[in-house]
Amino acid sequence: MNGVMLVARREITTQIRTKAFVIGLLVTAVLVAAVSFAPTIMDRPDSYTLGTVNSQQLPLKAAAPDAEFTWRGFPDEAAAKQALLDGDVDAVLVDGTKVLTDGELGSELSVLLQSVNREVRLGAAGVSIPPLQMVSVGADTRYEAARTGIAVVLVLVLFMLLMGQVMMVAMGVVEEKSSRIVEILLSTLRPWQLLGGKIIGLGVLGLINLVTILAVGLVAAAASGLAADFPPGIPGLVAGVLLWFLLGYAFFATLGAALASLVSRQEEVGSVMTPLTMVIMLTYFVAFYATNDPTGTLATVVSYIPPFSSMVMPVRMAATEVPLWQAGVSMAGMVLAVLAVLGFGAKIYERAVLRTGARLKLGDVLRAR
Amino acid sequence: MLEISELRKRFGGGPGASEGKVALDGISFAVRPGEMFGFVGANGAGKTTTMRIVMGVLQADSGSVSWEDRPLAYDDRRRFGYMPEERGLYQKMRVGEQIEYFGRLHGLGQQAAKKATDDLLERLGLTERRGDAVQTLSLGNQQRVQLAVALVHDPEVLVLDEPFSGLDPIAVDALATALQERCRSGVPVIFSSHQLELVERLCDSVGIVAAGRMVATGTVADLRAAESNTLRVVVRDPAPGWADGLPGAVTATDGKHVLLADGERDDQEILRRAMKAGHVEHFGVERPTLTEIFKEAVT
Repeated sequence: MNGVMLVARREITTQIRTKAFVIGLLVTAVLVAAVSFAPTIMDRPDSYTLGTVNSQQLPLKAAAPDAEFTWRGFPDEAAAKQALLDGDVDAVLVDGTKVLTDGELGSELSVLLQSVNREVRLGAAGVSIPPLQMVSVGADTRYEAARTGIAVVLVLVLFMLLMGQVMMVAMGVVEEKSSRIVEILLSTLRPWQLLGGKIIGLGVLGLINLVTILAVGLVAAAASGLAADFPPGIPGLVAGVLLWFLLGYAFFATLGAALASLVSRQEEVGSVMTPLTMVIMLTYFVAFYATNDPTGTLATVVSYIPPFSSMVMPVRMAATEVPLWQAGVSMAGMVLAVLAVLGFGAKIYERAVLRTGARLKLGDVLRAR
Repeated sequence: MLEISELRKRFGGGPGASEGKVALDGISFAVRPGEMFGFVGANGAGKTTTMRIVMGVLQADSGSVSWEDRPLAYDDRRRFGYMPEERGLYQKMRVGEQIEYFGRLHGLGQQAAKKATDDLLERLGLTERRGDAVQTLSLGNQQRVQLAVALVHDPEVLVLDEPFSGLDPIAVDALATALQERCRSGVPVIFSSHQLELVERLCDSVGIVAAGRMVATGTVADLRAAESNTLRVVVRDPAPGWADGLPGAVTATDGKHVLLADGERDDQEILRRAMKAGHVEHFGVERPTLTEIFKEAVT
């Protein structure tokens, strides 16, 4: 076990000091913060500038509390028209009877003006109309937008981190194999120690990335006020995401190491990894689809099938309410898949990593003694 | 004592398959504590394969390697020092950290690994490069780091595949000195090399491999003596016909006669005749160089 820890520590200490790691971490943190602030900046409340000529201001704010209204008084119609044409005001109420505009008025503002005007006149005549009460009989959709947003960000983050770390494992395996340093390493370490240490070390780096992203995202969302729209149960979701990331990473990284151990040159990593990257891409596409339709049949079924479940299930959990038993069953399946892959991948790695030269065939490695 | 006996290895083809290439065909030799063993042979003769089997990175089809009269085990190998044929270092890792890392992997504690690294860097003249990435070092300096990696844990046995290849004469001397020091402290050292003069100068024993077999093994002196049987006599300005009736052939250049005699002969009679004929400049049995022995053995 000591050997595993030494290998893991080397991976962490050498990677964490590289410019690529530090810059990558900073850039993702800035991006995540930007994403957290973006909705607040882009969802500016509607704001209107209105003018009056010989009229009372209408109580528009009471009818549309989300919008901003600025009123300006004009001495006569001519001045008001000029302001309209200059684009200084959106509409001008004249004598309480007509509205001057520059071209067509937005339907939202025109409906608002008409209905508030009616209400004021009726109120003046002593007629009061109670406002209509709105009652939803469907599911609680208050958090739908926020849930979808979180799920989309999550898919992207999980996919990028998974792909990045798995490729790092593969490159690391080939680096050791191509430089033959693996011969010295394996005269003092067991193959599983070297493989395990590498996967653990790079996994820790992935976790550092993920935790940073989640922490920056949550803090920035709280700061920007976006967190007010978040559904309840965020701590549980974060814990789930971390767990699912670890499972998915363990699965793909082990297979990545096994495949990479078949080749002896860095240039061959890409091609030997192609089947695995395709599976990761496919997982990503299904998970992305699930953000749109988290309760659909495809998302539900695939969220039980390893290794797809490692990305689809956390996305479903973010995008909708998933019963605990479903998450549990899916996770148990993924854990079994990870254990199977660990056994299989370690065997291939052990047999292939010392056989330098031409690219090995998976079948030959499995058949060999 | 490290004993290698009857190692056989075939590459390619599955178990029981008839095709495939025979790499080792029953290699045997032994290296005693404090002995420097030179492993020579043509490319592809089986030196690297033998060393990889000793280090456990390759499995022999049959045969055994034993250390101190027991089969060599994984835990014993952890106390060996190994330099593979193709140099392996983490190019982007710093020199000092790399040596320390291998010290830790071989079981040294943090303090011990650091101290051993400092000592080695000092001895190999790399102290100033401690914090540099390996890839910024010259080939010769990288080779020194490679040696440091093999030596950091004060190994009980050294197995070095072509440690001198690609080094300039000064680096060769530095490396040779380092190896001789280890050897004097009782560590058996096996190294392979194509630089036969170097092997002749450094090694107590030599093993010559050809096509997976050990064709000659023994001390350098023994090998030379076994191969040597030619008497060489050089006489300056002798009387003509002085060597008539003596075995062997005479060649004359610039008044200098050289007699080379093989096989049955009376050395004392030849010496008497030569002294009578002129001024004897050289009289002795030809000692073939290791290069000559090697060429003889592998052809």
